Amino acid sequence: MEKKKHTVFISGAITPIFIADSIAKHSSKTSIGGHNIFLGQVRNDVIDGKMVVAIDYSAYEEMAEQKFNEIREAAFAKYEIICMHIYHSIGIVKTGEISLFVFTSSAHRKEAIEASTYLVNRIKEEVPVWGKEVFEDESYVWKKNT
Amino acid sequence: MEITILVFGQIKEITGIAAWQISGIKSTEELAAKLVMQFPELALMKYAMAVNKILIQTDTELNENDTVALLPPFSGG
Repeated sequence: MEKKKHTVFISGAITPIFIADSIAKHSSKTSIGGHNIFLGQVRNDVIDGKMVVAIDYSAYEEMAEQKFNEIREAAFAKYEIICMHIYHSIGIVKTGEISLFVFTSSAHRKEAIEASTYLVNRIKEEVPVWGKEVFEDESYVWKKNT
Repeated sequence: MEITILVFGQIKEITGIAAWQISGIKSTEELAAKLVMQFPELALMKYAMAVNKILIQTDTELNENDTVALLPPFSGG
């Protein structure tokens, strides 16, 4: 079981190349039988007639890193997971780009899928991150999670 | 006795600064009352408080060098 600590926050969008590289790194871990990947993408919501063009993320980084670790440990305790990675953007991410990358791997698919859902739910509810939805005219509203 | 206050998101727009020190405050409720006098718009804001990076649910005693953060509803992901 791997429990490596790492930094969750990535400046700007999480690129498809970064995600592809993360997948490739697991080819040596041959006890894995299934991966589950959740990707959060910035959506072009229309609010009061104005379209969102980007989300500007900020965080209480010290507390967030602590919370991410706590959630990761809880998931390891709860599910038979071989490997788990969480990345979240900080700063500007445009619509259509990726801002959250949750990657779980297990011997059999069920555990990876369940752990992924558990992680995403807890991240959205418990981690001190804030998104500012920015419109074309550079005005903004503070995002509300539903 | 000095404590550090950190504010984030929409609350930072109300206070105009992200971090400052304050002294003579003994509890989180006392702090909240003082802050709402200083920044009346805070009364309209929903927020949680964390003392030394731990969320608190009830009035909490504050000690020298504690850090209190005012956290508006989270919206990550």
